[in-house]
Amino acid sequence: MTSPGTVQQAVISPGINLELSFNQALQGLGVPPDLAHILWLPLPMLLVLVAAVIGVLVTVWLERKVSAAAQQRIGPEYAGALGVLQPMADGLKLLVKEDVIPARADELLFTLGPVLVLIPVILSWLIVPFGQHLLISNVGIGIFLWIALSSIQPIGLLMSGYASNNKYSLLGGLRAAAQSISYEIPLALSVLAIVMMSNSLSTIDIVEQQNSAGLLSWNIWRQPVGFLIFWICALAECERLPFDLPEAEEELVAGYQTEYAGMKFALFYLGSYINLVLSALLVSVLYLGGWGFPIPVEWIANLLGQSTQEPLVQVITGSVGIVMTILKAYLLVFLAILLRWTTPRVRIDQLLDLGWKFLLPISLVNLLVTASLKLAFPIAFGG
Amino acid sequence: MLGFLKKVADYSKDAIGAAKYLSQGLSVTFDHMRRRPITVQYPYEKLIPSERYRGRIHYEFDKCIACEVCVRVCPINLPVVDWVMNKETKKKELRNYSIDFGVCIFCGNCVEYCPTNCLSMTEEYELASFDRHSLNYDNVALGRLPTSVTTDPSVKPLRELAYLPQGVMDPHDLPRNQKRAGSLPSELLDAISTKSSQSDNEEMVDNSDNDNQKSI
Repeated sequence: MTSPGTVQQAVISPGINLELSFNQALQGLGVPPDLAHILWLPLPMLLVLVAAVIGVLVTVWLERKVSAAAQQRIGPEYAGALGVLQPMADGLKLLVKEDVIPARADELLFTLGPVLVLIPVILSWLIVPFGQHLLISNVGIGIFLWIALSSIQPIGLLMSGYASNNKYSLLGGLRAAAQSISYEIPLALSVLAIVMMSNSLSTIDIVEQQNSAGLLSWNIWRQPVGFLIFWICALAECERLPFDLPEAEEELVAGYQTEYAGMKFALFYLGSYINLVLSALLVSVLYLGGWGFPIPVEWIANLLGQSTQEPLVQVITGSVGIVMTILKAYLLVFLAILLRWTTPRVRIDQLLDLGWKFLLPISLVNLLVTASLKLAFPIAFGG
Repeated sequence: MLGFLKKVADYSKDAIGAAKYLSQGLSVTFDHMRRRPITVQYPYEKLIPSERYRGRIHYEFDKCIACEVCVRVCPINLPVVDWVMNKETKKKELRNYSIDFGVCIFCGNCVEYCPTNCLSMTEEYELASFDRHSLNYDNVALGRLPTSVTTDPSVKPLRELAYLPQGVMDPHDLPRNQKRAGSLPSELLDAISTKSSQSDNEEMVDNSDNDNQKSI
């Protein structure tokens, strides 16, 4: 989005390019192009940060409400309409709490841990597309950046687990590291199969390649096994319930979070929920056609006799894209919450068995099958 | 080779079974989405305690004869009966009576054995206080009547499960005057008395012993 070549691209590809319009407007006012670019840069970052935090608030509320419904309760009800302000109240409470550092803890690592957990998660939002030009940066390595960044997280977890000087924290940190490392591999392999089919690491290209025929061309039909593996691994990476043993409260109090309070705990909390939303978004990008409507918007526009270059059509296409991405992601979040109340927590040996002895071979087979199908049917599998 | 294939087959069978059970569980959880909450929203809604509910003890000072039976039947001799002997009338003169509800286990033995029925159980259960010493109720506090859940205008009374009509599980939005499942004790008593009166009549007519035996 920031490369100078976008000017050419914007002419060809339909869709709104906000950066281009912003830069042109500023240059029209006599601002030099470099300054206009610098003025543009913080805007999408701020927007995505705000979007991520609001996404977390919505997810926390949804989690509490859906959990309540699954247990025939009501859930938060009195903080705002239907309790929508409850996560806000929780966050504010954590903000004003005392920042306790245990006496024998390693202060530096103790502080650095939660930061290291949160930053890669937020950075990964760089590559989440909400539309043709609606992402912060269309980096070439795209989805690979996310995989690379998510492997920083276990270092932060291990760090905070070790620095707390608490046996539960240490065990939780070790478990988190073991789990992250084990599930990273099948995750990366299932992503690799997708990448092989779309011949690109860029999330934009991956979505573009799925949107030729709407619902039918989504990757989930060509990669059903990959979808399942990715979803299971994403849940494990997020430490969601069937795999939440790093913070298993019955055994480890709260795992690596045991000694944390106040804002540092809030960072962990925020990190885990941003990660959940991010994983859901990436599942929708990789397998469910990203911003694509089940019936391509271009077809509908053609049916109604409208040109896709018309401003109104472009605005509608853009908003439909954002709504579809968020809708798909939140459907997956809902599924994750349902899974939370359906499945019991696995044991650590079962977890590692599942990761190494089941998901890894299956994802390898999936990759090989995809490769051979790509050679055999280049039309259907992106030759 | 065959062993390996069998292993693979078993493994995939296991995996398919796991997926089946998982989807079964998910459908159960999903089914709960359409069920109404059964929780009682406590300060705004309250369950109506049953007739035999053993809540805070009520005490009538004027009926008490200071016999101290309540103290003797209490598992921990809790009630404090403060009386003096009036030498002139040769009668006990009651001064104070108190029960500490921080210690009471609400077994109801005192109520059961009180010869003058000056003790009774109420339906009050909200005894929270800031100081445990204020749980030590004297005869004035013990003489207060609790506010009933059904008459409190700020509370929506809900029936307990056993008091709901047959097949109904949710006390919310229950139409008024719905009869509970089964018969009330009074109805049972009526039925028995009408039956026995009928058999009495029969006895009068037949004047035989056999019928009477049957009805009993």
